[in-house]
Amino acid sequence: MTVIWSAIAGGFLGTLALTTIVRAASELGLTRMDLPLLLGTIITDNRRKARAIGYAIHFVVGPIFAVGYAALFIALGHHSWWTGAVVGALHAVFTGTVLVNVILPLLHPRIATADTAANDVSLIEPPGFLMLNYGRSTFFIALIAHVAFGAIVGWAVRF
Amino acid sequence: MRIGGYAPIEDYAVIGDGRTAALVARDGSIDWLCLPNFDSPSVCAGILDADRGGVFELHPAIPFETSRRYLPQTNVLETRFTTDRGSVRVVDALTLPDDCLDPMRELVRSVEGVSGTVPMRWRFAPRFNYGAEAPRCEWRQGIPVATRHAEAVGIASWDAGAPSWRDGAVEAEFATTAGARACLALTAAHAEPLVIPSRAAVAARLERTIRFWEQWSHERDYHGPWAALVERSALVLKLLIFAPSGASVAAPTTSLPEEIGGERNWDYRFCWIRDSNFIIGALLQLGCHEEARSQFWWFMQATALTEPKLHVLYRLDGGVGIDERCIPLSGYRRSRPVRVGNGALEQTQHDIYGDLLETAWLYSEGHHALDGDTGEVLGRIADRVCDIWRQPDSGIWEVRNGPCQFTHSKVMCWVALDRAIRLAERGEIPSRHMDRWRREAAAIRAFVEERCWSPALRSYTRIAGSQDVDASLLMMPLMLFDDPRSERMKGTIDAVRRLLQEGDFVFRYHAADGMAGSEGCFVNGSFWLVSALARSGRVSEASELMERLCRRANDVGLYAEEINPASGGFLGNFPQALVHLALIDAAISIRDAS
Repeated sequence: MTVIWSAIAGGFLGTLALTTIVRAASELGLTRMDLPLLLGTIITDNRRKARAIGYAIHFVVGPIFAVGYAALFIALGHHSWWTGAVVGALHAVFTGTVLVNVILPLLHPRIATADTAANDVSLIEPPGFLMLNYGRSTFFIALIAHVAFGAIVGWAVRF
Repeated sequence: MRIGGYAPIEDYAVIGDGRTAALVARDGSIDWLCLPNFDSPSVCAGILDADRGGVFELHPAIPFETSRRYLPQTNVLETRFTTDRGSVRVVDALTLPDDCLDPMRELVRSVEGVSGTVPMRWRFAPRFNYGAEAPRCEWRQGIPVATRHAEAVGIASWDAGAPSWRDGAVEAEFATTAGARACLALTAAHAEPLVIPSRAAVAARLERTIRFWEQWSHERDYHGPWAALVERSALVLKLLIFAPSGASVAAPTTSLPEEIGGERNWDYRFCWIRDSNFIIGALLQLGCHEEARSQFWWFMQATALTEPKLHVLYRLDGGVGIDERCIPLSGYRRSRPVRVGNGALEQTQHDIYGDLLETAWLYSEGHHALDGDTGEVLGRIADRVCDIWRQPDSGIWEVRNGPCQFTHSKVMCWVALDRAIRLAERGEIPSRHMDRWRREAAAIRAFVEERCWSPALRSYTRIAGSQDVDASLLMMPLMLFDDPRSERMKGTIDAVRRLLQEGDFVFRYHAADGMAGSEGCFVNGSFWLVSALARSGRVSEASELMERLCRRANDVGLYAEEINPASGGFLGNFPQALVHLALIDAAISIRDAS
């Protein structure tokens, strides 16, 4: 059980770091990526409620991802902050390519896609390849944030 | 008629959503729009640089004439374009948010053919950060989108032609026939993904926005003369209140010049403590109790970090970091510099203490109780007034050749102590220093009566010992420094009329103020004169002047800060809250005196 609880704790801390990095970058004008809004609008079209729900989803999903990281560490027979950072970088690439462009549109009823025709509901601008629609620095920021997430999980996991 | 690409200031109307505002010219061009807030950098600043500022044009592609109005009881603008081939109606609004997935900010331009077939053209040239940064021109799902750093704007359009990007601007042409409808929606985002609205959602928000303004106007409580202009002024005031904090911008623009080609160009997108008593007074008189409550508490919150010292102005979020800088725009009709931020923040201006205490007094008079902590703060502010009133300051006009012993500043220090005493007698603020406040108030009155009175002019003077007057002396009867019907007050009103009035308008002063050039007449001062005349018992004179001043509003009932008395052309930032507040006060003064 130690590995599960340590992964969950690390995942929570890592999500905290990831969220803070993205929000800070947004405040600095480097990106328009808004993870809570993107996630929350899966559930509701009320933008004010969406952010609160989005933060909740993020802090639930983050530790779940961390458990996945822990499983990978067990399979590798090794864990450290830098192993976690490498996995985090791969995670960022996966997020910027497959997750937000293939999986998210399947789950998200309010995100525009290449197949969107004349819309009869309001839609959110799609992230695009490597989320570059949200600003040229967006993937770089996502990479840093996920590396930080992975490093914290790699450091926190115990088995 | 534009001169060198610039429309006259009086050709503009304002639309807003309580977070930002846009200026729409008679020819259908939006030449000023800051996003996402009043004090954010501009996306459209064509009014300050016709070449590089950015615009959002919408008009017939053939020669046209224009008439316009606000939809009754709203801040939604209707422009009718009449051409040889027919006419078109355009409705412009910054829509209010709803509970759905709405854009962060949305500006809607709804087009309806009235008669004939009219070719229309639109062009949106966004220029971020006061024209300093060209946009990245992209497409999202068929929507043209311009982005730069954390900012993004897109134009969703329906039945309004096939838009295309050209030279950093998106444009299209279309024809509208009688009964046909087209729609353009500017959707904006800051630090978040854009929301691409549906046509149905845009139409619903526009309708809801119209209903909101109608309902708000319906709830106002003014019965008296000039009701239409008072209502328009109330709507402008509401539009200029920054809803997230409750603060009110002095005007939604920066650097519209007080003299064409001159350097008196200032940024008014901040909240001045000086305006507080007029704002609270007008809001309470009009029955806007919610707005008055949020405004008062914003003033107390904003000043909490600096009290008992007060700053002259505060950012809309209550902060005081407002560095003044010049930006490389060519300026309205080459009036440079164009300034962002306001250096008056650093000035010492003693009158603001009187304004804040008067605000608290009016708030209390409006049956709103002050809490104990607020009472303590106001008491400390009164103590500070006792310490500083003898010192010179830069005064209400924020002169840059001071400090001086301004009469108005002394009077407002007296007002601060007088209102503190009244509040203490009512138990709203601690009374332990009341004896000192009484002594100092008497000393201020003696100073004003002895040092700031000119037997030669038979008037109070601009500065202690000077032999001139300024328009701020008209505030003395409004602030009840003395009986408005007293000989000294009547003499002062007459002196201001004799020395500063030109036609229907009043100059602020004729003295040097540390700036080059001159300026127009101060519209606010003209309405102060109306109020002063009414309160001094000269009601018919006040009514006649009021009637003439009301005819000098532009076609949609708005005023800028100043006016050229010869041409009637507007000067200075537009529309200015203080002018509309003074108009409300003047109308109420005449009504009450009658």
